[in-house]
Order: sequence, then C-alpha cells, then structure tokens
Amino acid sequence: MEFEIPKMSAALPEMFVLGMACLILVIDLFLTDKNRIITYLLAQATLVGAAIASLGYQFGSPEIAFNGSFIRDAMGDTLKVFIYLSVFVVFLYSRSYLQARNLFRGEFFVLGLFGVLGMMIMVSAHSLLTLYLGLELLSLSMYALVAMNRDSSYSSEAAMKYFVLGALASGMLLYGMSMLYGVTGSLELSQISAGVATAGAGNMVLVFGLVFTVVGLAFKLGAVPFHMWVPDVYHGSPTAVTVYIGSAPKIAAFAMVMRLLVDGLEGLQEHWQGMLVILAILSLALGNITAIAQTNIKRMLAYSTIAHVGYLLLGVLSGSDSGYASAMFYTIVYALMSLGGFGMIMLLSRTGFEADRLDDFKGLNERSPWFAFMMLILMFSMAGVPVFLGFWAKLSVLSAVVEAEMVWLAAVAVVFSIIGAFYYLRVVKLMYFDKPEDNTPIDSEFDVRVMLSANSLAILVLGLFPGALMSLCVNAFAL
Amino acid sequence: MNFEQLLFYLFAAALLGSALMVITLRNPVHAALSLVLTFFSGAALWLLLEAEFLAITLVLVYVGAVMVLFLFVVMMLDINLAQLREGFVKLLPVGVVVALLVIGMMVYVVGPGNFGLEKFAEPVGHSADYSNTKELGRVLYTVYVYPFEIAAVILLVAIIAAISLALRKRPQGKRQDPDLQIAVRKKDRLRIVANNPKGQPGSNAGDKK
Amino acid sequence: MADNMQNIYLTVALAPLVGAIVAGLFGRFISRSVAHTVTIAGVAVSAALSLYVFKHIVIDGGEPFNGAVYTWMVSDGVRFEVGFLVDSLTAMMMVVVTWVSLMVHIYTIGYMHDDPGYKRFFSYISLFTFSMLMLVMSNNFMQLFFGWEAVGLVSYLLIGFWYKRPTAIFANLKAFLVNRVGDFGFLLGIAAVLMYFNSLDYADVFSAAPMMADMTIQVIPGVEWSLMTVICILLFIGAMGKSAQVPLHVWLPDSMEGPTPISALIHAATMVTAGIFMVARMSPLYELSTTALTVVLVVGSITALFMGILGIIQNDIKRVVAYSTLSQLGYMTVALGASAYAAGVFHLMTHAFFKALLFLAAGSVIIGMHHEQDIRKMGGIKKYMPITYWTMLIGSLALIGFPGFAGFFSKDAIIEAVHLSQTPGAGFAYFAVLVGVFITAFYSFRMFFLVFHGEERMDKHAREHLHETPWVVTGPLIALAVPSVVVGAIFIGPMLFGDFFNGAIFVSPERDVLGKLGENFHGWFAFILHGLATPALYLAMAGVGAAWFLYMKRPDIPEMIKARAGVVYTVLEHKYGFDDFNDKVVAAGSRALGRLLWQVGDVKLIDGFVVNGTAKGVGWLSAVIKHIQTGFLYHYAFAMFVGLFALIALFVF
Repeated sequence: MEFEIPKMSAALPEMFVLGMACLILVIDLFLTDKNRIITYLLAQATLVGAAIASLGYQFGSPEIAFNGSFIRDAMGDTLKVFIYLSVFVVFLYSRSYLQARNLFRGEFFVLGLFGVLGMMIMVSAHSLLTLYLGLELLSLSMYALVAMNRDSSYSSEAAMKYFVLGALASGMLLYGMSMLYGVTGSLELSQISAGVATAGAGNMVLVFGLVFTVVGLAFKLGAVPFHMWVPDVYHGSPTAVTVYIGSAPKIAAFAMVMRLLVDGLEGLQEHWQGMLVILAILSLALGNITAIAQTNIKRMLAYSTIAHVGYLLLGVLSGSDSGYASAMFYTIVYALMSLGGFGMIMLLSRTGFEADRLDDFKGLNERSPWFAFMMLILMFSMAGVPVFLGFWAKLSVLSAVVEAEMVWLAAVAVVFSIIGAFYYLRVVKLMYFDKPEDNTPIDSEFDVRVMLSANSLAILVLGLFPGALMSLCVNAFAL
Repeated sequence: MNFEQLLFYLFAAALLGSALMVITLRNPVHAALSLVLTFFSGAALWLLLEAEFLAITLVLVYVGAVMVLFLFVVMMLDINLAQLREGFVKLLPVGVVVALLVIGMMVYVVGPGNFGLEKFAEPVGHSADYSNTKELGRVLYTVYVYPFEIAAVILLVAIIAAISLALRKRPQGKRQDPDLQIAVRKKDRLRIVANNPKGQPGSNAGDKK
Repeated sequence: MADNMQNIYLTVALAPLVGAIVAGLFGRFISRSVAHTVTIAGVAVSAALSLYVFKHIVIDGGEPFNGAVYTWMVSDGVRFEVGFLVDSLTAMMMVVVTWVSLMVHIYTIGYMHDDPGYKRFFSYISLFTFSMLMLVMSNNFMQLFFGWEAVGLVSYLLIGFWYKRPTAIFANLKAFLVNRVGDFGFLLGIAAVLMYFNSLDYADVFSAAPMMADMTIQVIPGVEWSLMTVICILLFIGAMGKSAQVPLHVWLPDSMEGPTPISALIHAATMVTAGIFMVARMSPLYELSTTALTVVLVVGSITALFMGILGIIQNDIKRVVAYSTLSQLGYMTVALGASAYAAGVFHLMTHAFFKALLFLAAGSVIIGMHHEQDIRKMGGIKKYMPITYWTMLIGSLALIGFPGFAGFFSKDAIIEAVHLSQTPGAGFAYFAVLVGVFITAFYSFRMFFLVFHGEERMDKHAREHLHETPWVVTGPLIALAVPSVVVGAIFIGPMLFGDFFNGAIFVSPERDVLGKLGENFHGWFAFILHGLATPALYLAMAGVGAAWFLYMKRPDIPEMIKARAGVVYTVLEHKYGFDDFNDKVVAAGSRALGRLLWQVGDVKLIDGFVVNGTAKGVGWLSAVIKHIQTGFLYHYAFAMFVGLFALIALFVF
C-alpha cells in the first residue's frame, strides 16, 4: 500500500496550539497561585501565535492534506482567526472575574485552548471522522469548563444536563454518519459528495442519515427543539464559561454545518433546506418569544442566542454562495455581540455579586454613562437597529432568503425580529429610565474596560463601514 | 441456515435482550452485569465479521477494565432508583409510543430493503495467516494518523477534566499532610503543667487546662 | 498626480471636520482661544488648498477628478460610495465656501466674544464647512443627500443657537419643518433616479439621461408624465426648500434669529445657494425638460420680485438683508430656468461675497449698537463707524448692480439672458427681474440712508458707546469688500462666455442664451458701456434716488403712504399671508389631523389593539412557553426525540 507523508505545514496552527496547550499544562504545575498569571499570558500568547501561523501561511486553492482528513481553505482560515480573536477576548474578560471567585486555575486556560483546538479541527475537517472527533474534543472541554465551579450546584446541574444531552446528540450524529458511510462508502466529504450524486437525492437511507446528522448539528447550534440545554447551561455556568460557550463554538458549529451540509451533502439540498426552514422558524419564534419572559439576563441572552441561530440558519438554507457568506457574516457578528453582552455582565459583577439579573442593569446610565452607552450599542445591534452591525447581518441573511425566493420566510423573520426588539430595548429602558438599585461604583480592571469599549465601538464602527467584513465573508466563498 | 447464521442470530438476540435488561432491571448491579453480557455478545458478532482485534479489545478494555470499575462505583454508592424513576414512569406511555415508532422507521430503512445481502458484494475472505492487528496498525499510523492523534488529545482532555473536577480541596474534608506530620515539634503537642497538689494560693495553673 | 490630488481633496473636506470634532467633543478640555485657533486653522488649510485646487483645475487646466474614495456598500449592483467630482464648478464653489467661511470664522472671534457658547459655535460652523464641502464635492446622489441634510442640520442647530430664546426655537423648528417638505421632494427625486437609472453616480446618470428623455411614467394611473420632468421637478422642490424659493421661503427671514456670522455664512453665502448649485450640477437633466425649466423660471421670478418688495417695509436691519437674499436667490433661479446656468452660478459667486459682506457689516453695526437691530433707532452712524460705512456702501452698490461692481456683471448678464430666452414664462421673468432691480436699489439704500445718514435717533447711552468695531470684525469686511468690487470684472469673460464650465455644465444648443449673448461680448469694459444703454441701470439709479428722496428729503411721505395704502400695507405686513396660511391651515390642519390620528389611530387602534394587544398576547405566550423549559433532563431528551421523530416522519416518509 502506497503512503505519502502528509503535508504537515498545512496544519501548523493546529500543531502549534496543541504543543502550547501541553506545554502550558506542564508549566502550570510548577506555578504557585501568585504566579498563575503566567499561565494566562502564555495562553494569550498561544492564540496570538496561532493567528500569526494562520495568517502567515499563503496558499492558492483549497489544500487537502492527511489523506483527505484535513482541508485548508479561505473560509476555514477566516473562521479560525475569528475563533482566536473571540477566545482571546474571552480570556481577557475572564481573568479578573475568575480571580475574584477563586476559580483562576490553569485548567480553565488549558481546557479553553483544547477547546480552541477542537474548533480548529472542526473548521478544517474534511472527513466525517475528523469532524466528529473535533466536535468531541470541543464538547469534552466545554463539559469540564461548565462544571468547573464545583461549589455551585447550578454549575454541576448544568454540566450534567449538557453532558447527557450532548452524548445523546453525538450518538444521533454518529448514527447519521454511519448511514452516510453505508451508502457512499467513504468518510471523506468530497467522496461522499460524489457518492450522493451517484445514489441520487431520492435515496431513502441518505435522507434518513441526513435527518440524524441535521439533528446532531441542530443540537450543537442550539436550534429548537434541540435547544433545551442552552438556557440551563448559559445560566448555570460561571459567566466566564458562558461567554466562552456563547461565542467561538458558534463559529465552529457554523463551520461544521457548512462542511457537512454544503461540502458533503449539497446534493441533498432539497431535503435539508426544508429541515432548516422548520428549525429556523421554530428557533426564531421560541427564542424571541421566550426571551421576553426572562428576568435573568444570562437566560435572556441564551434565548436570544437561539433566535440568532434561527437567522444564521436562514442564511445557510438559502443555499447560494451569497447566502453562505451572509450566514458566515451573521455568525461572526453574533460572536462579537455575544462577547460584548456577556462581557458587560462580567464587568458589572464583583465578588459575591453576579450582576446577571435584568434589575442589576437598572439606572446604569447614572452609575456609568459610558458603559451604559456601550451596552446600548450592543443591545441595538442585537435588535438589528440600523447602522449598527447587527442590522447589516440581519439584512444580509434576509436578502439571501429573498433571493432564494422565500419571501414569506423573510417576512416571518422580520415579524419575529420586531418581537425580539422588545426585550433588547427593555434593557436600554432599564439602563436609562429607571433608578439604580445599588450605587456601588463599578469595580473592574483597566484591561477589561478598554477591551469592552473596543468591542462595542467595533460594532458601531463596523456598522458604519460594514463593507470590509462583508467582503471578507464573500471572498471566503469566492475561491 | 448454516452454523454461522445460527451463531449470528443467537448473539444478536442475546445482545438485544441484555441491552433491554440494562435499562429495565431495578437492581443497578444486575444492570451493570447485563451490560457486560451486551459487550460479550457484541464481541462475538465482531468475531464473526473476522474483526478479531476489535473483538478482543472490546472484551479486554470494556469488560475487563471499564465495567469492573463501573461495578465498584455502583456498589459503593447507594443509589435509590425508585426516586429517579418517578418522572420516568409518568412519561412512559408516550415514550414507548415514540420509541416504537422511531424503531419501526429505523427497521424499515435499515432493513433488507436497503441493506439486504443482495445489495452488497460479499467481502473478500482472508487466509489464516492474515493479521488483522497488523493491518489495523498500518492504516492507523498512516492514513488515519490525524484522527488518531486527535483521539489521543481527547483522552488527554478527559484525563485533565476528570482530575480537575475530582481533585480539589474541600474546606471540610479531612486529609493527612505528611509534611506537617514530620515537621511537628514537641512543644506543639505537649504541654508540661506544673502540678501543685497543696493548692497554694496564687497558683491556679492547673485550672487553665 | 491623481493620488496626490485625491489626498488634497480629502484634506480639504476633512480639515474642518477635525476642527469641529476638537472644538465640539473636547471643548471641555480646551480654552476658547485653542478652540478658535484649531477651527480657524482647519478652515484655513481648506481655503489654501481650495485655491491650489482652483489653480490646478481652472488655471492650469488640470483634468477634472471623478472617483470614489470609499465604497460604503454595494447592494443589488448599486454602489453606495463616498466620492469626489472636482471640476471647475466644484473648484469655484470650494473657493467660495472655504474663503467666506474663513472670513466668518475670524469675524466670529469679535462677534461672539462675550457668548458662553463660544466653542460650541466654532464647532458648528466648522462642521458646517465640512458638510457644505461634502455637498459640493460629491460625485453621487447619496453623498449629495448626506451633505444636503448635514448642512440642514447645522443650520437648524445654529438658528436655535440661543436656545433659551423662544423665538429662536420657533425659528429653527420652522426652518426644520419647511426644509422637511423640500427634502421630501428631493428624496423622492433621488429615489426616482435610483429606480430608473439604477445608479447613484452622477456620471452614469448623466450619460444615461438622454436615452430616457422620451420616457413617460404613470404616477397617477392614466396620466402620462415625462420621467425627466418628474425627476427634475422633484429635485427642484428640494432646491426650493434649501434655497428658499416661494412658497418654501418662509423659514429664511425667521432664521435671522441666529447669530449674524451664520446669517452671513449659511443663510446668505453658501447653504442657501446649495439648491442653485444642485440645479446647475444637474443641468444635463434639466436640459431635457422644458416643463421643469419653466417651473424653475416662474418660481424664481416670483421670488425675485415679491420678496424684494417685502424688503421695503422691514425695520430690522438683518431682515432687510434677508429679504434681499431671498430676492437675489430668485434671480439665480431665474437664470437657471433660462438655461443660463453659468450666469446663475456666477451670480451665486458674486452674491456670496457681497452678501456676506453686507451681513457682516450689518453685524458690525449691531455690535456697535449693542445688539440693537431696529433701523428706526439708528441714523448718522457714518461718522462713528467709517470702515463699516464704506464697506457697507461697497456691498450695497454691488447688490444693486452699480456699473463696475461685481453684482453689476452677474445681474446684468441674468437680465440679458432672460431677455433672450425662449423658455415659456421668460416674458414674465424679464418683467420681474427688471422691476426687481428698482426695488432692490430702493430697499438697499433705504436701509443704508436710515442707518448711516440723517439724524441720530438712538438713545444717549447707546451713542456714547458707539465706536468702530475691532480689527477681527473690520478685517473680514475689508477682505470681502475687495472681491465684491473686482470678481465680476475678472470672471465675467471666462465664466459666462469662455470655456470655464465646459464639461461641468451642459446647455442644449437651442437654449444657449449665453452663447448668443457672448457673440456681442467684447470684454468687461465694453459690457459696462453696454450696461449704460440698458433700462436696468436707470431703474437702479431711480431706486436709489427714490430712497434718498423719501427717507432723507421727505420722511413724511412714507408715513403718509403707509396711512393711505392700508390694504396693500397690511398685505405686505403679513408677508402676503404665507405665514398665516401655514399657521392657520397647514399647521392647524396637521395638528387636527395629528390629534385625530393620535386619539383614534394611535391610542385606540395601535396602542390599544396592535401594540398593547400584541404585547399582551406575546407576553402571555412567552409566559406559557417558558414552562416548556421544566429543568428536567428527561423532558429535554424527550423533546429531542420527538423532534427527531417529526423530522424523520416529514422528510423520509
């Protein structure tokens, strides 16, 4: 049997992150709590290094390595860079939060980095096997992160639910993959694509496998009715972990959807389009409506995530390159907004106070006009108020849906986004028109303040000039 | 029906039956033992497929190591299953209906209509000196080296996760610290008290105890 | 070179913005002198570079620049861009805008000396300069609209600059509302352009326009309208709002509530001429519709004549100048309607200088009089304020079109052009502009004599403090007086009859009145001599004479006329009833309609049923759905299975 040494350099960022994660794990053993900051700095350096490795590597057309297990293309590289960026911001927000709660341990950063590795593997996966393994690597890291605060019964409960349901979803995904393998006889996505073409879109086993696969994907994205874990996990986790789960993994999940449904199963588009329509409408409806009844802002943002997933699916299901680009744009924008939203909760929290109730945002304008304004930007953007970045994201997925000649679906989405605007604007109302419940000065580190301001202002500025980010997403599918 | 087919149906029946028992038996130890039987039946099926290495690994790793450990845990914990089943029973009728429907659909799709013997060519048999283990090893370290490495990382993460979650200092927990035990000095433990039997006035050191 | 020029254009536009941001956002941290230094430096940079651009484009004959600087977004093949189109028309506007603005900046140091909003004021006028530059330098309709709205916004802010005065608030609200009417038409016009040309770029639209000339559309079913006429009239409605043409002129007199420097900058020299500039820029479109040109011509001549008449009875020194501005804007519009775009723009330029001069001089008088604006309480100021006197005289002579002064050339050219024009309505327009000349002279010198000559009618206290204003005030006056005299003679040849505007302004040959006029043009001096033989000059002289006779010699006659001509006087006093009509019919009607919609539509239907009803419904639904999330693991798993089952059942079978 012939065997070629794989082109290792294509996977340089993955190898770098893996090596650094192991190194940090060992170094952390020799650090006392006082010097733990070194772990943090090394983790951040790893992300920066990975970004350099990803950006520094030039390639022309998509490159497939490791016997078809691995692909490196423009979409993957763009998404990876945004994953590094998101996790970098997450680590930055988390440092003082964890320190204040006695959770500042090396494992947070090591598991975080392993999660990043899992996301990178998913983004670059070109076979069902690597896709699944990347997903498991990410999920396992996240289960452990959710349970990190052992003294909180909420965290343990959330971790348990997440673990059991995640295992169930993984099982379904695997079952679906085995069906696909059974029909096409390959694990590699391009050969599956060819196999689908041979078998024809009417093949019952393929559609059967597709349903299970879509269910697995829907669970990871948190689309209704596979969303039940989202509010409990977002609520139960320490906010530092919530912001991690709420940002970068969504980008990876989007990549997984693209790899599986578009790279592998584009031949079955007529079927998965219909499934995604159902999932999208349910997610939009349930996410937006249920968010209104929440009193906890973490839960509210969890339901808002579910709604955002609905919009993201709209872009994917339109089934054109511009639709995929709009979904990618939406994903990245969502990750940025989510970082800011949860970051704001962490900024307002302090030892013994989580600031995760809606009431904790009352009168923020009196306590800190600047951060009230930052939160206003975030909320307006999430609601999709024009000129903010979120508006362009919504507009682009909606226009993709209209192009796909599903105007009724766009209309439904608009109706639900109007309903959704209510709970975002309520936060603004609480901040500007209500009296604060406590007047404790906001106690937060300088770097968090700067980063959060940059995060929010980026949403404003990119909203004024959305061209660059949009063309980045369009170019990802142009090659 | 030849002997091979007989064996297949025998082990397949055992596998399904024992798997059903895993989730229906009341006693957790019995359930765990049923799971052992499930693994054994599975291993036997794999042997029929000439996947000797996998079959033996399944027995060694799952039955030999994992399940034994599992049994230890089950026996150490006193789990009240009746309490856990309260909600379960309430949903049972609906659950059974949905499960039966899903199973029915699965059987229909995966059944002979799509995966019948006539649909697939019979795999080529191998001679007796063919080494299953060697072939597996060869592809595992060449073609599948990338997934293999990832699997290794997953295991590493599992170890880290398990240790970081299990190993922690509880404030109320009791533990030995050999360092402190060795470093102990006489004055830390022993106090010499002057005994004054006559009870002279001004000395009440004895009461200080 | 092109890159180099692009950077220069960017700098011209952005330098005032930098000044505005520094003075506006960081005003708290900097002193007053830093605020004015920064803003003046920004505008000075723009002004100097504008001159360079003017030299490059006009004198050296450099290539006009047309290019995008930044692409904001591309949607459906339509590019939304920030881009510059710099040709001779733009270069001229840039010079006028930046230099008048620079003069006003300097003048403001003196005028606003004691005002608490000093830094805010500088920030606003720099912001205005930026907006106006964006407007004139634009190469597409989107940026034009941005500049259009931005100057409107700053104008609104500045009219209400003294926001504690109720009259100022009323005036700025009025300006805002009236401009909304105009902007609505303007926006519809742009929308029509976008709809039929599928582009916002000037060059694309202009090159495609001739093919659309015969296209008709049905706005009202069954009635065919020419597309070009609809677009042009809609755009002109925008211009009517911004350039204060009847009947959207009502905001301009009231805008005098703002500080005098902005009256000079915004409401005389630059912003109000944006409409004129826009129509000139759109000349390739207007040339395709005779109907639209007729509308322009008639509206312009009505404005020129009737607004001038109102100037006669005003007693507020700034209002007199304001009505004269209205009247002069009418002249420019008439020129546009007669297809003499170059003459309109030429008058725009000369007017910018002499009208800014008149306003600043009036401001100087107001400073001297300690913010007294009533000309009946002035008189004989000549000896106290000689520089103001002489500069004001120059401005007035330029305004009435005294031979040799800037206004003479531009106004005479307009009158002659209208005389030659064949566009329907030209006859009326010729009458209006000729009578307008007399009236202009009359009210200008009525004010001039009442302010500077005759008996001193101010009280004793005011007289004691009356003295010439400081150099920051008189300096700009002198600086503006020079061009008020000379720019006409210098530029009439190239601008009107030369090839100055070649490529920037398009006139169809059969309407080229200036071309016909140019056949008899033999230099500026000959033009003056020719002017001596036209009725315009004698009408102007008659106006001055009448003013002298009625207000210097026999001041009792005006009183008598006032008493006798009761009806006419009342009509004039009420400004032909435009304001009353707006207040009683438009505003009251809108309020009544608004109240009706509010009580029935909003409160009952929308609030009661749609908003609160749906909100209650959604809230109820939300509370119900919330209970799905029970928190029990097996419920969650069960939901997943049901979902799986439903999907299989739907898609596999």
